[in-house]
Amino acid sequence: MTDAKTSVAPNESKRLGYWARVARDGNKMGFWFVLPTLLLLLFIVVFPLLMQVYLSVTWWTPLEGIPWYRAWEVFNWGENYWYMLTDDRFWGALWRTALIMIVAVPAQFFLGMALAYLFIDNFPGRKIFYSIMLTPMMVVPAVVGLMFFLLFQGTGPVNAHLGLPAEFSWLTDVNRAMISVIIADIWQWTPLMFLILLAGMLGVPSDQLLAARLLGGSNWQNFFKIILPRMKAVIIIAVVLRSVECFKIFDLIFIMTKGGPGVQTETISLFLYKQTFGELEWAYVATIGLTILIVLSVIAAKGLAVMAKKNG
Amino acid sequence: MKASPGAMALKYFFVLLAAAVVLYPLLWMVTMAFKPYPEWTTVSDLTWFPRNPTLQNFEFIFFGSAEGLVVSLDRTIAGPLMASLVTSVCGTLLAVVAGTLSSYAVVRFGLAQTLPLSVLQLRLFPPLAVMIPVMVMWAFIGAVDTWWGMSLIYGIVTLPFAFWLMKTFFEEVPVEIEDAARVSGCSYWRVFYRITLPIVKPGLATCALFVFILNWSDYLLALLLTQKEWVTLPVYMATLTSAMGGQMYGMKAALGVIAAIPPVVFGLMIQKHLVRGLTFGALKQ
Amino acid sequence: MSSIQIQNVTKKFGNFTAVENLSLEIEEGEFVALLGPSGCGKTTTMNMIAGLEAPTEGAILFDGKDKSGLRIQDRNIGFVFQNYAIFTHLTVYRNLSYGLEVKKVAKPEIERRVRAMADRMSISHRLDQPASSLSVNEMQKLAIGRSAIVEPSIFLLDEPLSNLDAGFRAYMRAELKVLQHEFGQTMIYVTHDQIEAMSLADKIAIIDQGKLMQYGAPLEIYNNPMNRFVANFVGSPRMNLIDGELRDESGQLKLMLHGGAEIPLAGQVKSDFTSDNNAHSGSFGIRPQDIYFGSRRGDDDIEMHGVVEVLERVGPKRLAYLQVLETDFLAFDDQDQLNVGDEVRFFLPPDKSMAFNLSSGKRLGASVQ
Repeated sequence: MTDAKTSVAPNESKRLGYWARVARDGNKMGFWFVLPTLLLLLFIVVFPLLMQVYLSVTWWTPLEGIPWYRAWEVFNWGENYWYMLTDDRFWGALWRTALIMIVAVPAQFFLGMALAYLFIDNFPGRKIFYSIMLTPMMVVPAVVGLMFFLLFQGTGPVNAHLGLPAEFSWLTDVNRAMISVIIADIWQWTPLMFLILLAGMLGVPSDQLLAARLLGGSNWQNFFKIILPRMKAVIIIAVVLRSVECFKIFDLIFIMTKGGPGVQTETISLFLYKQTFGELEWAYVATIGLTILIVLSVIAAKGLAVMAKKNG
Repeated sequence: MKASPGAMALKYFFVLLAAAVVLYPLLWMVTMAFKPYPEWTTVSDLTWFPRNPTLQNFEFIFFGSAEGLVVSLDRTIAGPLMASLVTSVCGTLLAVVAGTLSSYAVVRFGLAQTLPLSVLQLRLFPPLAVMIPVMVMWAFIGAVDTWWGMSLIYGIVTLPFAFWLMKTFFEEVPVEIEDAARVSGCSYWRVFYRITLPIVKPGLATCALFVFILNWSDYLLALLLTQKEWVTLPVYMATLTSAMGGQMYGMKAALGVIAAIPPVVFGLMIQKHLVRGLTFGALKQ
Repeated sequence: MSSIQIQNVTKKFGNFTAVENLSLEIEEGEFVALLGPSGCGKTTTMNMIAGLEAPTEGAILFDGKDKSGLRIQDRNIGFVFQNYAIFTHLTVYRNLSYGLEVKKVAKPEIERRVRAMADRMSISHRLDQPASSLSVNEMQKLAIGRSAIVEPSIFLLDEPLSNLDAGFRAYMRAELKVLQHEFGQTMIYVTHDQIEAMSLADKIAIIDQGKLMQYGAPLEIYNNPMNRFVANFVGSPRMNLIDGELRDESGQLKLMLHGGAEIPLAGQVKSDFTSDNNAHSGSFGIRPQDIYFGSRRGDDDIEMHGVVEVLERVGPKRLAYLQVLETDFLAFDDQDQLNVGDEVRFFLPPDKSMAFNLSSGKRLGASVQ
């Protein structure tokens, strides 16, 4: 094959076949295409990671005027890690994060599934209701925090509607603060589950569903035997996605309760935030951050390996 | 197949119930934004729709003071609104350009096969777990509380979405079209620029809107990396109380409404592709 | 087993009328083919029988009873989809057992019946494999077996053979006929392939643009089409349909062809012509195999002269295109005696000929065989 337009010397172009040149030239341009992303990744991964490892074994804090690169002066032989293991506040925050995940994610899943089931078939007004259902997840999370902050005021509409006195507090109550936060999270993110699960449900071939009905299966039976098994991958995606995001939860809680009352709604992100800006224990935050990083990476790698094995 | 009237009624009952639950908090905030001070709480009475609708709250946040209000504001919405816009747009540009180029290279040239997963990892960790070095770095290079510092971090954290979303769009472009152009003598850049990009244009627009929503919705990064000049809208909204003392529900609600509108509008515009975007292309609608 | 009565059924989708005032009687145990070009409303008709669509007007009775209030699940209808709708996430066994499982049939009984059906459909060796691994031919068998295993009262097949390769299609056609005898169920079969319909069905309902054109046994339809559409649609090669102007010349009805040739029409047609004032133009129809060459066989046979334009081999015979002025006749050259360019004489036996009103499509003198 000959190439009409080429800057390569003729003898070289003869030596390399056309497609070989295509591959080579493609790589050359591909390099420039990948470069920006690569630079951003290097910038945000390599250097910060090294710094995080470095800081995590020191006492360094921005308070004392030592520049970060001289943090070795306060080297502490990994005492931060030991401290972390015995830090009740850290474990408490971890537990509360887990609690929110355990309650909110399944709730979002079941509600999302039920909603999706309502939206399988077309019905008058489906489009507009569908848009309404999606709205919460598009609202800025901080604004959702504000919305529920307003709702759950003692003098807010929730108490008024439930006939409770203004003294009945939600956000400043030891138990109800957590409930309020979870409700807000469920409100905002059920739509995401709904959206993904509905896409999965609609992906089930309609003629197979019809065949199942014609064979005499009730809607219930067909749901569990035909629809659900086919949605396995979608369900995994939705639940993993929500769990990862739920683990990071910050905006909502920070605006609603600031982690309070006390530490009642302090999740891992809020705990880290307070350590960063309240206590200014930056080295300690780096320690915990690094630990989380490693643990999550291992879990993710394991998960991917399991998935790859199942697919392969 | 018509469902029985009973089943249909039941369906509508649940759908309406769900819609009510969804709209309840939204409505409260939206109406709050138009309520004067006495109606902010339910102390005297619960009113869904303002009895004396007013634009006072908006007036206050836009001009720093409003008729009939003793308090005033030293910092109006103008700055934060601008900051939100500039940083979101620049961050989006960065993410979309980098994501588009690199995902194309991965899809078409089979380069950097580990890139998709490493990019995805950026979304795995809680930002606060990895923010200490970033904050130190940002302070070191003088990027804290600057528009470019914020744009840079936004571009980085939303890059995974842009990358994966564009990857799925590129994968849908038949390679034959590009090969045909290449065989007829187009250079690689020309093929990409003249053939592929126009084909994925709708995808590109979707991607940009999607990434913009994410950037606009950020609260935490702005909280960590801005101080005053480049404080974004959500941060400004949340700090309004502490700055003034006392509760300013109406003004906050007005700010919330303003902050919520762009993402909701854009989100509904790209509804069709939301699933794809949110699941990093794993699912398409 | 059920008989089915379709009574004046109309189905509209918005402004589009898919099926118009259709009536059909299907006897218990009969094998009926719904035949028509694609988009003619045959699939809609079948969907209405299955209960997937509700008729806009009219009723469908099963053994004299209206089932329209019943859910799809309770109608006991076997349905084989065009693309089979196999549960690809389940094994072949679970596909077969699904209809029994949901009815809470006892495990051993399920096992027995699944094995029997798998044997019958010769897919036993595949029972434990995922259904997605089956070939198209096996999927077809599985789809039929899955519907048959629940012993439905009627059996509906939507173009079941259209995805198969040619060889297997012929085999499956024979197989379906056998199965129908074995099951003894009322079967309704949608197809656009007249050969399938002709070879399988006890009765054929020909549908065009939502309307029933003719309903009857295959041979009856073939020999005695009621209108121009059926005459044109059924038979391969197609019937000669020569359009022209109808003229009554001193008691002799003639069809004037373009270019000046004329065909005298048999007497029976005349009464229809005179009673039908609109019948100014008509079609003359005769099947290619009824045209003969050589010497005259019947006194009334119409003699024509034409030129052999093209000769085309169709199987063992040759198909001749005979040009008569501006019109073409198709005929079989049985003895391989024609050459291109020959001027030939050929005959149209009137008892095999028919005439149609071109505007209404109705057969003229249809009552006479």
